Amino acid sequence: MTLLRTPTALLGFTILVVLALIALLAPLLFPADPLAIAGPALLRPFQDASLPLGTDRLGRDVLAELVHGARTSLLVGLAAAATSIIVGSVVGTLAGFIGGIVDEVLMRITDAFQTVPGFLLALAFVSVVGPSLPVVVLAIALSAWTGPARVARAEVLSIRERDYVAGARAIGMHPLKIAFREVLPNALPPVLALSSVIVAAAVLTEAALSFLGLGDPNRITWGGMIAEGRAVLRSAPYLSIIPGIALVVTVLGVYLAGEGVVEASAARKVRA
Amino acid sequence: MNRALRLIRRRLIASIPVLAIVVLGTFFLLEAAPGDAVDAYAASLGGDAGLSADLRAQWGLDQSVWGRLAAYLYALAHLDFGRSVIFSRPNLDVILERLPNTLLLMGSATALSFGLGSLLGIWAGAKPGSLRDRLLSVGSLAIYAVPGFWLGLVLIVIFAVQLRWLPLSGIETIASSKEGFARAGDIALHLILPVGALGLIYLALYLRMMRAGMTEVWRTDYVLAARARGLPRRRIVLRHVARNALTPLVTMLGVQSAAMLGGSVVIESVFSIPGLGRLAQESVAGRDTSLLLGIILISAVVVILINLIVDLAYALLDPRVGASEVQS
Amino acid sequence: MPPLSLNRRSFIAGSSVLLASTALPTIGFAQAVQKGGRLIVAADSEPRNLNPAIVASNGVFFIASKVIEPLAEASYEGEDGLAPRLATSWEGSDDGLSVTFKLRENVKWHDGSAFSSNDVAFSALNVWKPLQNLGRTIFKDLEAVETPDATTAIFRFSRPTPFQLIRNALPVVSSVLPKHIYETGDIANNPANIQLVGTGPFKFAEYKPGEYYRLTRNEDYWGDDTPYLDEIIYRVLPDRGAAASALEAEEIQLAAFSMVPLADLDRISKVEGIEVISKGYEALTYQLVVEINHRRKELADLKVRQAIAHAIDRDFVVKTIFLGYAETATGPVPKNDPQFYTGDVATYPFDVAKANALLDEAGYPRNADGIRFSLKLLPAPYFNETRQFGDYLRQALATVGIEAELVNNDAAAHQKAVYTDHAFDLAIAPTVFRGDPAISTTILVQSGIPDGVPFSNQGGYKNTELDALIDKAASELDETKRTELYKEFQKLVATDLPLINVADWGFITVARTSVKNVANNPRWAVSNWADTWIET
Repeated sequence: MTLLRTPTALLGFTILVVLALIALLAPLLFPADPLAIAGPALLRPFQDASLPLGTDRLGRDVLAELVHGARTSLLVGLAAAATSIIVGSVVGTLAGFIGGIVDEVLMRITDAFQTVPGFLLALAFVSVVGPSLPVVVLAIALSAWTGPARVARAEVLSIRERDYVAGARAIGMHPLKIAFREVLPNALPPVLALSSVIVAAAVLTEAALSFLGLGDPNRITWGGMIAEGRAVLRSAPYLSIIPGIALVVTVLGVYLAGEGVVEASAARKVRA
Repeated sequence: MNRALRLIRRRLIASIPVLAIVVLGTFFLLEAAPGDAVDAYAASLGGDAGLSADLRAQWGLDQSVWGRLAAYLYALAHLDFGRSVIFSRPNLDVILERLPNTLLLMGSATALSFGLGSLLGIWAGAKPGSLRDRLLSVGSLAIYAVPGFWLGLVLIVIFAVQLRWLPLSGIETIASSKEGFARAGDIALHLILPVGALGLIYLALYLRMMRAGMTEVWRTDYVLAARARGLPRRRIVLRHVARNALTPLVTMLGVQSAAMLGGSVVIESVFSIPGLGRLAQESVAGRDTSLLLGIILISAVVVILINLIVDLAYALLDPRVGASEVQS
Repeated sequence: MPPLSLNRRSFIAGSSVLLASTALPTIGFAQAVQKGGRLIVAADSEPRNLNPAIVASNGVFFIASKVIEPLAEASYEGEDGLAPRLATSWEGSDDGLSVTFKLRENVKWHDGSAFSSNDVAFSALNVWKPLQNLGRTIFKDLEAVETPDATTAIFRFSRPTPFQLIRNALPVVSSVLPKHIYETGDIANNPANIQLVGTGPFKFAEYKPGEYYRLTRNEDYWGDDTPYLDEIIYRVLPDRGAAASALEAEEIQLAAFSMVPLADLDRISKVEGIEVISKGYEALTYQLVVEINHRRKELADLKVRQAIAHAIDRDFVVKTIFLGYAETATGPVPKNDPQFYTGDVATYPFDVAKANALLDEAGYPRNADGIRFSLKLLPAPYFNETRQFGDYLRQALATVGIEAELVNNDAAAHQKAVYTDHAFDLAIAPTVFRGDPAISTTILVQSGIPDGVPFSNQGGYKNTELDALIDKAASELDETKRTELYKEFQKLVATDLPLINVADWGFITVARTSVKNVANNPRWAVSNWADTWIET
């Protein structure tokens, strides 16, 4: 497989597959509520076989939290990426395909969102609406959709002059139908290439929001765990190091795999 | 130079609707917020119902949404940013007091990540696929994947608490009455850790871009030709490959400025730097609508200006770019 | 370090031997005072209005109490728990209609003008009564202040007002402002609300927003020899982890109000040259309270409230969330209060089986998923501990089949949701007991309070018996009878559970051992620090 040609891409995909398995199997591995109090507070890792990674400030099982945290963290990343890519490509397609005043308006809006620092926007949005998982996802997507929108628009601009589009016009197809049936699918690949960057950024943004106390308290996320652990950064460093490592590994995996995809598609293009 | 002026004018005109969207969007976002400035204030205060009503009247919060929006826009048109309810001072004063700290932090961090990132990128890209290339690439990504606040906290523990080499937080030694060079040195010392934390995170970006660019350039005909001519490798790397790979990095500078500004929110909070990011956080918590509007507006202006400067520099360096921009 | 005993009643009795020796090496040793030096302390917020006569809150007092003084300050040794400040004596009339203060002579404002009874009269009538968050209630019946001479102020009330209440409130509500600075213009917008002018041991020198406040020694202070320090600097450190590191790096010398997280205390207490002090907050004891919205039909049922009370393991809360720096609560008056507390009330020991039985009895059986009903739980965002208790309470309720959804709001949104919109089922509040139940405690359970009053009964609870009791105590002039009425009040609250009191807690100070005379009164962090000094 071309995808797995480079060792780094192989590493990236391995990480992602393992993570996905952990996330999917979390309810089977740890059926109990991961937020339940399972033992004495601040138990260090490798002391108790039933609580291998120790416990947190309230005595919750760190391993169970970590595994369930994989679910939410990946969910946040994927949902934010999906939302921003869908919104971005729709906006980009409309702007690029219709052109004129619509293009102008949509692009100025895109500019506006790009001009405001994304994290500031997310911070304001979550503080105002109140922290819950969907709100956090939306807040991240709010600043991340502009990249896909720009790329999609650029692609659409080059595609819309091609023959098959002209053909579709000639047979009297509805312009919106042309835009979304004929043009968008062809414009999508370079947009999708952005997804790894967005997923990685989303996981990190969620962590930063949790750090500022803006995470969903009913769900466990790695960012939330790190934020919780920082009060005891000196006396119980494992509480922030363990989820920190998980975060680093995930972001690394997503990034490397994403790069593998880009390299592979580049290689395919060269051959084609 | 004429071309540059036209570019500036075009950009300034284009930025007006952008700023208008930013102002309206922020205003209505904050309007939708549950709780107003008085609620935020009452949290630290207690008191009876009459007190809250009195405060609302005093702070002009008892008017309608549209009344407040109209008043705000009218004032803004006269370059009046209004008064902050949490600081009871003019917003512009509060913002301009903090802006230099943030710009200093952002600027230094950008210089660090750009400078070190492109250097390491050249080093890595000089031998694509080598062990050092892979290590640098993955290592910088690993740093990129560390949350900024965590990196900051760890740097503090190591360098400020345990080794005591560097000051722990703040922008300068408090109440020290240092002047001139002594003060500049003091500020520089205080900036090392926060700039390190913020800059290291974005290092990966420039490193990987530089490296990727170099990998591309290695394959081009003229580099192949240079190699065939038997030029020294070092010379090929620096003169031909790196130079050509550097240009896209410059455009990245502009794009990243907004992200840097966002990233500084957390870093300012960790290092107790009185900057714009921390101010934004305080204004959201205090529901100080006009202050947050001011901050977002000013940061949007900063981002627009940085992009303009980057584009100008680019246009001046590379005649083709500016020409096409002006013609289109 | 062994966990500190928090039996504060014994502190008030003048004994500090209960404390572990590492905690308070300075108390009880007469050391030669060293004058001069700069004390740098951590501040986690910058109040928008620093005037303690308008904003009587701990965040303001922390800084302003060094500059602007009250008539009397709380004290471990003084009669009725008070030590004189701007007043040297105070006396209430038998009919409860007047209080006479004798004021200190030869006191000067920081701008050089003389302090007199006119300043007290002006502050009381123009500031405390109409503008101050607490004074609006306590001085609501204050009609006039007579000033027969420069050192006498006689407060006249239109209705009998218990002298005990006025006395207990003095340290908090009686910050005196200079009349000559405030008499012209709008008091609320006076620049002196930040650039404070007072009579205290320190003058307000400088404020750099986001960085620091600087106070300097008042050479003309009325106290003998004091203040000892040359300067106090409040360094703004908004990040919760920052204070501990700053103490270790010796960039600050003192962090009050638990700015060092409780979880870090054990470690930092072992650092050379740093001590952890749990004393000095007795007069500002907080209570961890579960607020209940009685509009929910399940929660209107006493059995359900009892079940919730039984489901909470108070010992776990004290041990794990407060790491021992707290006391289990029995009712709306904290155990360390020397005047009003009674433990002779209904108690709710941790008993999951009983809680389940009560819920079954109340008619809320578990469904197929083991859930009886679902609730919205809003922990107040102001302290780490309130949020952590939220996490704990969610789990505790789950064990008895009540599903709670946590809603974490920021301060403004929480305030609006709970106290104006009543959009909660359970909320967690850190309420303050200010030395007298009439100041800020009875309001938590009294009915008929308009919407939007922060830290009051917004749960729709109404109990005519309790209301009558509160009214009676509010106008009872006899101190013994008044105290008895408040004991009755505690019993009634514990029996009917309008809210659930979980723990009593005070803050923790962490300081370099070189800082002396720390925590020598029950409001130390918010007192004037005239006798604080630094050993070099």
